[in-house]
Amino acid sequence: MSFVRRVAVILGYEWRRALAKKWVLALIVLAIVFQTLILVALAQFIGTVLEVEFDTIWVIGVLQGQGLFVPLIAIIIAGGSMSEEYERGTADILLSKPITKVEYITGKFLGGFSVLCLVEGITTATGVVLSLGLFGPQSELQVAPVLFLAIAYSSLVFFSLSFMFSEVFRRGTLAMFTAFGIFIASSVVSGILSMLYVLTGEQLYEYISKGLPTWSTTNFAQFVVSQLIGTLQSPLQPISSGDFQLAAAIIAVYAGASIVIALVRLVKSDVSKKAD
Amino acid sequence: MSPQSIIAVSNLTKFYGDFKALDSVSFGVKKGWVYGYLGPNGAGKTTTIRTMLGLLRPDQGEVQIDDVNPTRDPVHALQKVGYAPELPTLQTFFSGEQLMDFTGKMFGLDKLTRKEKINQLIDLVGLKEWGNKKIGKYSKGMVQRLSVALALINDPLVLIMDEPTIGMDPEATAHFRNLFTNLSKQGKTVFISSHLLDEVQRICTHVGMINKGKMVFDGPITQVLEAFTRKWVVEAELEEVTKSMISGLEKLDYVEDVEVEGNKLRIGLKEKKDLRGEISSEIFKRKGVLLSLNLQKITLEDAYLRALRGGERK
Ligand SMILES: Nc1ncnc2c1ncn2[C@@H]1O[C@H](COP(=O)(O)OP(=O)(O)OP(=O)(O)O)[C@@H](O)[C@H]1O
Ligand SMILES: [Mg+2]
Repeated sequence: MSFVRRVAVILGYEWRRALAKKWVLALIVLAIVFQTLILVALAQFIGTVLEVEFDTIWVIGVLQGQGLFVPLIAIIIAGGSMSEEYERGTADILLSKPITKVEYITGKFLGGFSVLCLVEGITTATGVVLSLGLFGPQSELQVAPVLFLAIAYSSLVFFSLSFMFSEVFRRGTLAMFTAFGIFIASSVVSGILSMLYVLTGEQLYEYISKGLPTWSTTNFAQFVVSQLIGTLQSPLQPISSGDFQLAAAIIAVYAGASIVIALVRLVKSDVSKKAD
Repeated sequence: MSPQSIIAVSNLTKFYGDFKALDSVSFGVKKGWVYGYLGPNGAGKTTTIRTMLGLLRPDQGEVQIDDVNPTRDPVHALQKVGYAPELPTLQTFFSGEQLMDFTGKMFGLDKLTRKEKINQLIDLVGLKEWGNKKIGKYSKGMVQRLSVALALINDPLVLIMDEPTIGMDPEATAHFRNLFTNLSKQGKTVFISSHLLDEVQRICTHVGMINKGKMVFDGPITQVLEAFTRKWVVEAELEEVTKSMISGLEKLDYVEDVEVEGNKLRIGLKEKKDLRGEISSEIFKRKGVLLSLNLQKITLEDAYLRALRGGERK
């Protein structure tokens, strides 16, 4: 049996595990509800603020809907991925089989990430469909798949961070709280730094702000879209352009480093049992 | 270890932090053996087994399963190994059959083989009515049964089981002991850990005894009895011990040796028989006055305990 097949077996297992959980289904429902609320709120706004381009409003709907939700779902799915096998004592069952640790962690990562992509796909599709219903015919819909891929790629940052904590701490809740804490802290600090940059003009503030995990996560998708169809005016927040290549690179660095740390932790340490 | 050993454990040392859980443990298990790994709670049995499977990284020493190191090459080392962990916790969201199917996939079995194996094994472990129910609903003993079935799904050459009969009722225990013996007759090598001397005595051909991380015995089951079930001894306390009395006793054909300690005699017997009558009449013949006369039997149980004491760390 090849590397790919063994990874695929674990990937399938990860899907099975995620779908067996009611909370994954609940999250998907919640994401759809959130997406709907955002678009309905937008539709209300449109009545009063009219300088919006109606025919591309679906982009704004999709992006606004994902903003908070995607990192949160990513954190929750990844935070339980490795840790739960230790906490439940099932890691022994899996790793006493003819599979390398690299194959195991690869399957786990891709499995969890593809579940996340499914959720993102559903919310993106919901955003598009609702926009059509609420605002009439939309243009530039051919960008939707790219927007989906960009959203998926940007969610790698918090997915990987949470995945790393999941393996390093081997405690699901601790991993999720840590990753979520970083998300909140990064958002707050990033805001303060941008403000300081505006006030003082000191470049360093901006650099640090961009290096924090939230900057690339929240901006990459809109940078990509604006690259394709130009900037958009949103009643909530403008869809702005920016250095999407820098954002892409930062995302890759966060994801890569997290994966390497998780792998080293897995390979270099004992498979712990429930009580450890 | 000799090269024919299917499981070769050499000089395994394992620390948990500062605590030395295994201290240079070595043994070999050959094809067709039923090897009983015997030791009290906390002796290091589970630690040894988890190291054998590559789940724990040894601080020193090495394990080879069929000449492959499971830490370095788990794919080849574990392909023909079945493992039933101690008090297994299985994926509760699967049904028994689904978990068996998934485990079969991990071994790379095709769909048809998996199906056949599942039907055969679920029957063998007596879970026929439960195969399609969620594992979360199983009782402890049923989980143990399923765990043995899982360990057999890949038709393993080596079956490693950590206290497999814990939590089973007496009927199931007997059934499974029988099963293990039959598997070894089919040429499989069976490694079973237990803290029950009786269990090991019933089914094992070879025994390894571990205590506080150290091997205190390794050999065929017949040798355990020889090594530790020493002779029975009659202890006689007399008013006075004379030379003629000792030489008289030594000449008796059922006496192996006589030790003297003050006014006490320790008379080792060649047979495991209560010969106090014969000995007291011999002493009377030599005009000795007996104060007390005791028989010390040594059972396998004593032998085991004695072996464990021998392995205690200073
Ligand atoms: N993860 C761990 N961290 C620290 N100490 C441990 C750990 N696992 C086991 N130990 C200690 O190592 C020793 C051996 O444990 P092990 O589980 O191997 O014993 P055992 O022979 O299987 O016992 P039992 O019959 O109770 O299953 C015990 O003293 C135990 O407390
Ligand atoms: Mg144990």
